[in-house]
Amino acid sequence: MFGKLLKYDFRSMFKQFAFIWPAALVLALVNHFTMSAMTTVNGDGILGTSTAGTTTAGIAMLVYVAILLAMFITAVVFTIQRFYKGVLGDEGYLMHTLPVRPWQLIGSKLLCAVVTTFLSVVVAVLSILVIMPWSWRDINAVFRAFGYLFSHWNMETTQAMWGLLELLLLMLVSFATGFLQLYVSMSIGHLFSKNRVALSVVAFIVINALMVALMNAVLPWMEHVIVSVFAETSGMWPYHRAVWTIIGVDFIIAAVYFAGTEYILRRKLNLE
Amino acid sequence: MNELLVTCTGVVKRYGNKPALSGVNLELGRGRIVGLLGPNGSGKTTLIKILCGLLQPTEGAVLIDGQTVGPYTKSVISYLPDRMYFADWMKATDLFDLFADFYKDFDKARAMSMCASLGVTPSDKLKTMSKGTKEKVQLVLVMARKAQLYLLDEPIAGVDPAARDFILGTILTNYNEAGTVLISTHLISDVERVLDEAIFLKDGQITLHDTVDNIREREGKSVDGLFREIFRARNYEGGAF
Repeated sequence: MFGKLLKYDFRSMFKQFAFIWPAALVLALVNHFTMSAMTTVNGDGILGTSTAGTTTAGIAMLVYVAILLAMFITAVVFTIQRFYKGVLGDEGYLMHTLPVRPWQLIGSKLLCAVVTTFLSVVVAVLSILVIMPWSWRDINAVFRAFGYLFSHWNMETTQAMWGLLELLLLMLVSFATGFLQLYVSMSIGHLFSKNRVALSVVAFIVINALMVALMNAVLPWMEHVIVSVFAETSGMWPYHRAVWTIIGVDFIIAAVYFAGTEYILRRKLNLE
Repeated sequence: MNELLVTCTGVVKRYGNKPALSGVNLELGRGRIVGLLGPNGSGKTTLIKILCGLLQPTEGAVLIDGQTVGPYTKSVISYLPDRMYFADWMKATDLFDLFADFYKDFDKARAMSMCASLGVTPSDKLKTMSKGTKEKVQLVLVMARKAQLYLLDEPIAGVDPAARDFILGTILTNYNEAGTVLISTHLISDVERVLDEAIFLKDGQITLHDTVDNIREREGKSVDGLFREIFRARNYEGGAF
């Protein structure tokens, strides 16, 4: 049943982003050409810029930045709206009468939101790479560099790869924690019979303040742990320990938010 | 299979301090068409929402087919809420796919033929449909299932008398005869002819639950007549006139 929920959540996500993701990449490609057209080479082989080229490049860049901004705003709005309308609004009448458990509803929405945001980040990074001045020779060189890396794989490369994967995991866990904070705030707001949206915002602000207070309380301890780790060992281990500590703390906070949201949906559901 | 389809024991629901249901005891068998009758605010929607798992009772227990409310009971209940519950960007056929995915008892071919007889084009986007057409789509979704319990919350409240007959006809020709249909309404004269049993709900309590034949025989009047008598009497009790 969880897989079926995911299928419908992902379908609505792709519907939302079917235009904006390709648009960002196409605009990046346009910018790639307008940027290179901006610089001209005169008869003496000296680089210069043309006014027309600069104006075109400026406009193209503005549109590109706007669409990138729109993409991230859409991702956040999509996350909030799919939960508020899809779980706590009128669509909730359908979702909560499907033969599934509340944790599956939350899990499906969360996974979809995390993947959406992650893909938006991937599109943003790709688009920046597309804009940069490159030639086919550069791409060839990149592939050769990767080939070299894989053919000369050693302990350090493994460590570095792990380091990257850990950062990736940290990013995904932080997305999830952020979204779950939104979910639990909206669920708390929905417990009231009036001003549900305003009270959801209040709940979010209060939770945020509590988290800041908690972080301030545990920060000296965390600093102590990290500093002592750095003092004890060398190499990559201090880095791994630090990243995993942050992942662990984030994960615990996420679990608390998830449990709170699940409890409200299971025991206190009260759709309008 | 449990002989009793629905068992409510001492079900209480309070919203804050305001009671919506105050001690409902109810047993429903199978293969019945039951009217849940009461004026606005008597607790009909609250009771139905508790049966389908949209609300948790403050006190008391509910069993559907011998099971507490959960994924199993939701899989055997077909619920028609008093509002639109789908995303606008979908087509009716998308919803049929969704129902076929989640409910084993959903018959897509029957849904398509019901659409044809109701004059609905299932490949249209819901966004482009009129309110009445959307209501028909929702009715098709609910009635194309071979459910054990149909919970229909005010299915005829918002439509004209001709459409009421049409909707009731659709319900009667399509429901699973081994299952039970619970229809909540305050328009009793329209539904009385199809009911096997009637439940009167007043201020969150069941004041009467009997077969329609027994009521007519005992009271010497129609269910509608009895309903008007009971609920009108309350209005004059204060002696304000």
